[in-house]
Amino acid sequence: MGLDPADETERARGPGSSRERLAALRARLSGPGGPAVPHPVLPLGLPGVDTHLPGGGLALGPPHEIAPAEPADGVAAFGFALALCGRHLARIPGAALIAAAPGQPLPHGHGLAGLGLDPARLLLLEAGGDAEVFRALEAALHARTLPVLIGLLGGGLPLKPGRRLQLAAEGASPPLVLILRPAEAGLPNGAATRWRIASAPAARDRFGGLDNPRWRARLERCRNGRGGDWLLEWDHAAHRLRLPEPLARDAAAAGRARA
Amino acid sequence: MTRLRRAGLAPERGPLAVAAEGPGGLRLTALDPEASALGLRPGEPLGRVRARIGVPLRVHPADPAADREALLRLCRWAGGYAPIVAPFGPAEAADGLYVDVAGASHLRGGEMRLVDDLAGRLARARIPARIALADIPGGAFALARYGATDRVVVPPGGAAEAVRGLPVEALRLDPGTVSGLRRLGLRRIGELDALARGPLARRFGEALLLRLDQAVGRRPEPLAPLTDAADYSAARGFLDPIDGQADLVATARALMAELAPRLERDGIGACGLRLVLHRVDGVVRALDIGLSRPERCPGRVAALVSLRLDRLGAALDAGFGFETVALAVTVTGAMPARQTDLGAAPAGDGIGFLADALAQRLGRPLLCLGARASHIPERAARPFPWAAATPDSVRPWPDHLPPRPLVLFPRGEAALDVLSIVPEGPPRRFRWRAQVHRVAHAEGPERIAAEWWREPGARSAEAAAGPAQGHASRQGAGSGQARDYYRVECEAGRRLWLYRDGPHAPGRPAAWFVHGLFA
Repeated sequence: MGLDPADETERARGPGSSRERLAALRARLSGPGGPAVPHPVLPLGLPGVDTHLPGGGLALGPPHEIAPAEPADGVAAFGFALALCGRHLARIPGAALIAAAPGQPLPHGHGLAGLGLDPARLLLLEAGGDAEVFRALEAALHARTLPVLIGLLGGGLPLKPGRRLQLAAEGASPPLVLILRPAEAGLPNGAATRWRIASAPAARDRFGGLDNPRWRARLERCRNGRGGDWLLEWDHAAHRLRLPEPLARDAAAAGRARA
Repeated sequence: MTRLRRAGLAPERGPLAVAAEGPGGLRLTALDPEASALGLRPGEPLGRVRARIGVPLRVHPADPAADREALLRLCRWAGGYAPIVAPFGPAEAADGLYVDVAGASHLRGGEMRLVDDLAGRLARARIPARIALADIPGGAFALARYGATDRVVVPPGGAAEAVRGLPVEALRLDPGTVSGLRRLGLRRIGELDALARGPLARRFGEALLLRLDQAVGRRPEPLAPLTDAADYSAARGFLDPIDGQADLVATARALMAELAPRLERDGIGACGLRLVLHRVDGVVRALDIGLSRPERCPGRVAALVSLRLDRLGAALDAGFGFETVALAVTVTGAMPARQTDLGAAPAGDGIGFLADALAQRLGRPLLCLGARASHIPERAARPFPWAAATPDSVRPWPDHLPPRPLVLFPRGEAALDVLSIVPEGPPRRFRWRAQVHRVAHAEGPERIAAEWWREPGARSAEAAAGPAQGHASRQGAGSGQARDYYRVECEAGRRLWLYRDGPHAPGRPAAWFVHGLFA
């Protein structure tokens, strides 16, 4: 074999082929799947945020954990997850699955329009507990038919189910997996990122009315990336997140003060 | 007896008996009332009977097969009352039937009317019958056989008490156990039930306790419903019993592969399947598998069976193994021929399989959201089970609604200590879920009137109760008044959907409710 230093034919190629040999060695080291392909990601479309994430976006496949900053911010975290789901669904066809543990809120069909989501592309599953949520997500991961999977947990994401989800997600065309859990401190698990979402005053339109929702998003943990803290605004018509410009916000506030 | 008379094989009058080959020659097996009045009992030898009584007795040979056939005919007729009808098995002497009228009695105007109707029709057909209706099959059997009257209707939960006074024969025991109990002086079910269970089980076996528990409803008793013979079914027997999930799944796959060409020839697919497992010791387990779309692919059926066995786990209880495995198609659906290999699978195909997989694995349906023709927020949308074709009752989503919250509570939750600057305006501060919220911004109102064609009682009650009931009726939605909805944003940045129940009226405290949360 080419790795054998005593192989005369390999040696005869000379030093010019050492680069190829190195590449072959790297390919062998990277595992049986051949050379590592770049992992598919969902870019958030914000250079300021995407540079913090490995690969330039949320990795598709491994679970992403989203937790509210305070228990009362649960809906803000849910909204952020659905915004990411809407962003992904706007790019590829298919439907999203929301598997909810008992007591977790299910979305109101008419309220999804405010986030730019088509209710017809949302499937719901009312699970009997966190364990059933994990089983449902795993079954959906194996089926590979849905591009977005969202699990609403009553407890935390323990290491073992997180790892199982990660293993089930390996392979071609992985979906975006989002795990929402309550505000308590999380244990280490297989999640690729952990977000903390808090509500923030919404954007104002030019008449001072409530416009696009805004959230304060803190990237608490990010494997192979950097954490960060941003104020994000969701534009439901364009299906993109924005960093609100401080100037515009000040002007609106000034307008309100005058009125 | 009734069969012979109805078929014209026996005269209408005169004592009549049926005899069959038993130990020591022919013995009586069934008697009509006139023969019973002569003092005859089933089981007596025919020769001694003929010698004992002076009147001529007409005796017919027993024909169990014809009796069974007649009972099945009666069962099919009784299927008009309720879909689940089960004939009596050998333990019940195979001379009657169960009808599961749960959820079907209102069609006949109540349980009492149903029993009267059934008795009337049977009497017109000259079929003597005793009918008992109870919420436990075992209890109903005991009351029908040994009850005081021909027609017994026991209210729900009363069956256990009603069977206490009945003789122990009503428990469907074998004759040896019955005579043993009688020797001990135990004649009534109530006396038996009062005894310690351990010694009873040691002396008479587990079967006695099982029958006792079934009669008083401590143990569930599944009925073996009579079903029409499936048009598409396949079975496989094994010399060596099989257990283990892999073997069962492989067998299911092979059976489906056997059925698939027949289904394909007729242009249909299976929408419902039943896998029947016969255990070596005679116990039969049936697994029903429902599919969201017609299917005839053996691999997919095998995958669903595997998921179902996953969920059952140890509850399957293979015992010493299964000797026969049968697969029957219970529900069929049209399945036009489709090119399977080339081209992409139609959209929704994968979701259909996922829906089936989740239904087998978790026993829960996949839902999707549908709009309804109502402008009351909590009625305007509802989840319904996912189906490949959207049902007609689901309406398209309106696209001109004012903003709606992402999460809507099923009922409004009361907001307390509401402080408003103007009496008919939005609140400035309120307490909800033990937290004080200060409103930074409010938009509204959006008035949503009650649907006057619903709940007229609730509406008038609210009007009559007046302001004194204002706090007592703080249960949220459904008061039948118009609501004024406001979108408010708190200083913390949370956005809520609040409403005031009913218009502002001077002198009446306004009732405020939080109905939803915006993202």
